[in-house]
Amino acid sequence: MSRRLPLALGALTFAALFATQSGVGFVRDEGYYFEAARSYEQWVLLLLRAPAAALRDTGRYWSANFEHPGLAKLLFALSHLVFTTWLRWLPDALAFRLPAFAFGALLTYWLAVLGAQRSRAAAVFGPALFWGAEGTFFHGHLACLDIPICALTAGVGVAWARAIGILDPSPSPPSPPSSSSPPKKKLFFFRPRTWELPPPAVRNGVLLGFLFGSGLAVKHNAWLLPPVLLVHALLLPAALRGRALRTLPWLLVGPAVLFVAWPLLWHDPVRHLGDWVSFHTHHVHYAWYYLGRELRGPPFPIFYPLVLLALVLPVTQVALFAAAGAKLLWDFAHRSLSPLRLLELGLAGAAILPFMIRTTPIFGGIKHWLAFIALLAPEAGHLLDRAAGLASHVGLPRARALAIAAAAALLPGWWQIAHVHPYGTSAYGELAGGIPGAASLGIQRQYWSNNVTAVLPWLNAHAPRGARVFFHEVNPESYRAYQQAGMLRADIQYAAGPWDAQYAALQWHREFRDREPETWNAFGTKTPATGLYLDETPQIVVYARPGLPGAP
Amino acid sequence: MDDEAAPARRRSDRARAVPLLAIAALGVSALIFDLTDPLRLPGDGDYAEAAAALRVQAGPRDAVQVWPSWADRARMFVRSLPVRVEEDLRAADYPGVDRLWLLALPRVPLAKLSGARAALRQRGAVAGEELRFGALSLQPWDLRGPRVLSFLTDPLEEHEVDYVPRQCVQVRIGRPADPGRLQARGQGGVLHVRAGVVGERAYQVARGPVRIEVQVDGAPVATLNVPPTVPPAPGWRRLDAAVPAGERAFAFLVSARDPDRPFCLSAWTTAP
Repeated sequence: MSRRLPLALGALTFAALFATQSGVGFVRDEGYYFEAARSYEQWVLLLLRAPAAALRDTGRYWSANFEHPGLAKLLFALSHLVFTTWLRWLPDALAFRLPAFAFGALLTYWLAVLGAQRSRAAAVFGPALFWGAEGTFFHGHLACLDIPICALTAGVGVAWARAIGILDPSPSPPSPPSSSSPPKKKLFFFRPRTWELPPPAVRNGVLLGFLFGSGLAVKHNAWLLPPVLLVHALLLPAALRGRALRTLPWLLVGPAVLFVAWPLLWHDPVRHLGDWVSFHTHHVHYAWYYLGRELRGPPFPIFYPLVLLALVLPVTQVALFAAAGAKLLWDFAHRSLSPLRLLELGLAGAAILPFMIRTTPIFGGIKHWLAFIALLAPEAGHLLDRAAGLASHVGLPRARALAIAAAAALLPGWWQIAHVHPYGTSAYGELAGGIPGAASLGIQRQYWSNNVTAVLPWLNAHAPRGARVFFHEVNPESYRAYQQAGMLRADIQYAAGPWDAQYAALQWHREFRDREPETWNAFGTKTPATGLYLDETPQIVVYARPGLPGAP
Repeated sequence: MDDEAAPARRRSDRARAVPLLAIAALGVSALIFDLTDPLRLPGDGDYAEAAAALRVQAGPRDAVQVWPSWADRARMFVRSLPVRVEEDLRAADYPGVDRLWLLALPRVPLAKLSGARAALRQRGAVAGEELRFGALSLQPWDLRGPRVLSFLTDPLEEHEVDYVPRQCVQVRIGRPADPGRLQARGQGGVLHVRAGVVGERAYQVARGPVRIEVQVDGAPVATLNVPPTVPPAPGWRRLDAAVPAGERAFAFLVSARDPDRPFCLSAWTTAP
């Protein structure tokens, strides 16, 4: 297979994320990761200067954000070290985010590789369908862990497929789609030469182990991958099963990568691993607004993640992802699923099923199960391509059919991005009735506080020197990041609450409704000075004490 | 044979276009919905006109209720009278409000304005003439509620209970042996007490109930228990009791085993 198209699409993704990042606020988690990355950067500098001291003092530098492994944050730190500290090419936040864009590009690359197993059009449609919604596009910008683990899930899938020989290295040029169905009652229908089953190449095994280890070193979701791959291996026919089972031990490289990439484990690893596990097994359940009620603890609605996806994504993507999932399940039930599609189905299922067991924390919108739609995307792209191909049988030129398919499937999502970006956590699709419909339905308005970027220019223009501002959900780490990025004046101070503030920038959350009346009482006014209202829905509401600049 | 099979083959060929047609229809429908979004939303000019109408027509005992209840950008424009964001228009109290102006966004998806109007009718309110300002609807409703004799708590102070800003004052919760105390003087009639725990602590079920003992002229007349909120039961609890007419000394004694919670209380009397 030519890698040129996946590489080009990956580069395009990187460029698109880079070009549209400036307005994206620093989400709460980024604040923590920025702080952690700064600490890790100091450790890297120490390592270069005094390696023995660095090896001795890992705990001091790496204890920051101990609840997540270190690889992604180490990459954020290295990017900052190179592009900001040394070269002074990029501002702090952009340097931290650069590796996240690279993970976004990798995700596109791997989705295109999977799509290319079907057709060239599917290689383009797959990643386009994944990214063509503000709910996913937004996450691609963040120096967080969700897109990296999503990308590495796809990457492990591709590496596994390559290692066990089910990924055709050079699929033939796209053949005109046929109206005939895939062979029935037959598990495989890929090119005969892959039947030769050469022994697994060491480099493929090493790559698989490395990517799995990288996943482990990014986020704990990766621990779900070995069971998926084991089940996948067991469901394969005998000829392939043996090879797949012989490939599985390469996953043992993973924990070694985790250990190397997370220096916190270098001293007292049992304690740190225990802290890591304990943090997530005792994770707090944040209140989350869903269909008119606040979810505060288990049991959560079983179909919560699917319903949320249906409400967040543009309706065309919802339809195509649903069709892709249904087609994969149908073919699985009829034993006509190729090993690669079986793998995609398994990885997609493993990404979402943990959030349907009713006890897993469900806050954070769709970000925790992005891999679900990512792994459905190649199949969805293929279905879109097939729809165009079938239409070409009735006289519609194939190029025109593809253009119609692409426009119909992607334009609503692109409109959503143009309309809502960079306020990605507030985006809702047509099935929800858009953002106002979601507000009426009683769905979480926003989260992570990044929408505050909309009112920072107003605060910079109006707040007197040294003004105290209550930033509500914006944590001190993100507040400092806004100042370092020049988005917030350096003299503006962080107030602990409305009673302590001259201005208040409130983020509208159902569970924080008490803050607005508290501000009214403290400020003696109920009239906002300004705000961010998306399609009329309050997102950020700014109050100023009467008499201050900007006060109504 | 070929001639007979041709129509079936043509139908079969046409059927192959159905998936693309379905996707195209879905995409076009979605785009129509998306691109007409601005037509469903009011602009600043619409709000300014509505606010001007309210300045001219509204009286001192009027209030504005926005609908949907989240649509409170109106606060930036309507400054001449109180803006309420009640969610249950049938049960909301609106003490001291004779006429309620329903300021609504009728075209936004899932606005359910008819439901809001039905709720007002169910409480006996009578609708006036609806005005339109672009994508805004403004309609006066005569609430026909009882006349307020005395506000026993400050109606200007507000706190959130059940995620709705309530006109209530914050009261310290004391231990049963040393209850928090709120005192006021006012006219007897029908006493209305509303109370609830502010914020998320209302939902912490292990904390136990808050007890309010109502005393009139030093004698206990009623108690109101405010248990932890377990939806769909409300956290904003109600008590209505008859109090003999005339000037009275009211006291509200607030206590709980676990006093570490912000608590809010509202009380007023109306004519019987």
